[in-house]
Amino acid sequence: MTLDRKLYLLAFLITSFLLASLFAIGAVFNTRRESRINSMVDEAYGNLRDMQTFMLMTDVYGTEMGCLAAQSKLQQLDQSIWDLGVRIDRYRVATEEFQRDPFYLDQKKVFNENEFLYLLLVSQLKRNCAQNSSVVLFFYRDSHTCPKCDDQSFVLSDIKRDAEDQVLIFSFDMDLGLTTLNLLAEYYGLDAYPCLVIGEQRHCGMQDREFIVQQLCASDPAAGFC
Amino acid sequence: MNPLYNAVVYVVWFLSTYYVVLLLLVLLANRNRLHDRPSRMTGRPRVSIIVPAYNEEEDIGRTIASLKRLAYAPLEFVIVNDGSTDRTGEAVRAAVSGDSRFLFIDRKENRGKAVSLNEAIARCKGEFVACMDADSEVESDVLEKVLPFFEDPRMGAVTITVEVRGPKTFLQKVIDIEYIIGLSLFLKLFSFFDSIFVTPGPFSIYRKSVLHAIGCFDAGNITEDLEIAYRIQKGGYRIANCLDARVFTATPPTFRGTYVQRRRWHLGALQTVMQHRDVLFNGRMGMFGFVIPLNFLLAFSGLLLFYSSLYLLLHRLWEQLHYLSYTGFNIQERLLQFEIDLLSTGTITLVGVFAFAFTIVLMFLGLRAAGKSLSKKRVGMLGFPFMFFLYQVFWTGAFLAALSKRRIRWR
Repeated sequence: MTLDRKLYLLAFLITSFLLASLFAIGAVFNTRRESRINSMVDEAYGNLRDMQTFMLMTDVYGTEMGCLAAQSKLQQLDQSIWDLGVRIDRYRVATEEFQRDPFYLDQKKVFNENEFLYLLLVSQLKRNCAQNSSVVLFFYRDSHTCPKCDDQSFVLSDIKRDAEDQVLIFSFDMDLGLTTLNLLAEYYGLDAYPCLVIGEQRHCGMQDREFIVQQLCASDPAAGFC
Repeated sequence: MNPLYNAVVYVVWFLSTYYVVLLLLVLLANRNRLHDRPSRMTGRPRVSIIVPAYNEEEDIGRTIASLKRLAYAPLEFVIVNDGSTDRTGEAVRAAVSGDSRFLFIDRKENRGKAVSLNEAIARCKGEFVACMDADSEVESDVLEKVLPFFEDPRMGAVTITVEVRGPKTFLQKVIDIEYIIGLSLFLKLFSFFDSIFVTPGPFSIYRKSVLHAIGCFDAGNITEDLEIAYRIQKGGYRIANCLDARVFTATPPTFRGTYVQRRRWHLGALQTVMQHRDVLFNGRMGMFGFVIPLNFLLAFSGLLLFYSSLYLLLHRLWEQLHYLSYTGFNIQERLLQFEIDLLSTGTITLVGVFAFAFTIVLMFLGLRAAGKSLSKKRVGMLGFPFMFFLYQVFWTGAFLAALSKRRIRWR
């Protein structure tokens, strides 16, 4: 006895259809991931624009009015950027294409430029409004060029998770080749990756949690996590 | 994820899903024929039932009692004590005394199951020979149900539904489902395209002239019930399955016992396919020549998938431990912030979830097609979808045994 050849073909078609359905569901998930990331990016940019406005207000109308609003916005902005980072990290595990997708690479460039703008605003806030959050600058490259960069990122996330808005971490992807970031790297004289700048002190190479917390506390002994 | 790993996942998924879908289509196309069996039988041929036993003092009494309940005649029984070191011989003598249908061969030396079977075949007089494990029990009308299949002159053997006898432990209940689906329903489906590749040891019946024509059981093979099916197929004979006749067999209650048994089965499968590699992709063998390589391809690719997944899992775990070492193993906060996000599910995970769900669907359809009550199999059904992981352990054991050239025997 033999099987009807139509059964082989039908089984092949059904299996192919099932596989195509799985890819279609995967694509739907991907679209929803993109749309969630986009809405979070929009929220972060909105907060950044607000903060920019408040800082300009301090220049025009005096610090009293703008500082209060800017400081409260800083918390929101910091939280939205943190949430965005966590989400991007989580979705990166789900999709390999994430890191190669031109859309995300463009987004990343814009995001890094805005991160720089955010850093400038925080510096202004510290100067004009006596804002006392500790600042860490984190310069990194991709994990093939810099195997320890992912490790460093993990440690910084861990510190941020505990310290929340007492520590503001600015991450800069040096592979993007942005002029602003290159200027910043030159200013601090970076010679290796990963590299951290804490309290204007450069610490290149992998640093563990204990060392970073020590440096943060040295630059601001009054910080709550010290 | 590694692109090579992704490729392995998709290939294994496609092959296994294709195989199962094809079998489900065969099931669908033959749903009204599953329980069909020929009812007419010319005359009442003599049947010999052979029971080889090695250290079966606890079970042999029940096995013989079930043989005595068989309604069919003319019958003869050949019990072979294969050099047991326990009181099997005495148990057999006590159970068969006064019944002239029983022939008892009490051998002092342990020479293996195949040798025992061959010795009994040489001495029995039946036109048909049923081989039965010493820890199994058959239903009283089994012969009336299977013998009509031999009206087809090309029929070399008939297999029947194998179920676990009085499953008690969780593992036994899971294996009960595996037997009903894998050793019974699937064999029925394979019979629709002449591709049955095993005549299960608990009970299978053969035409004696076919056994003689192919040279009886291979004493050098550790899974003689698998090997003989290959030779029956190669000899151009057919093997059928009778889903309505049942045999209940004992299975090891513990994982260790099951592991030892399955390692022998899997090693025997490797030994058999090496011995009969000429069947692979052999067009003259019909579908059988393609079912066998597909079975092995699935087994090997499943093993590859299992170990590559395990490697990636351990690698990820190691990576996390490595990260945590920089933070003084600050885990508490991380655990507290754990969040389930469905969108984190990648396509590879979806493929895994689908395969698991498909196994569950197959289990339900299989049990229903075999006419089993789902409510009585609930406990086993919980474990059956996880059998994939156990198979990998068994295959690994078989490969290690093959590589170390360890001698594994029927015990």
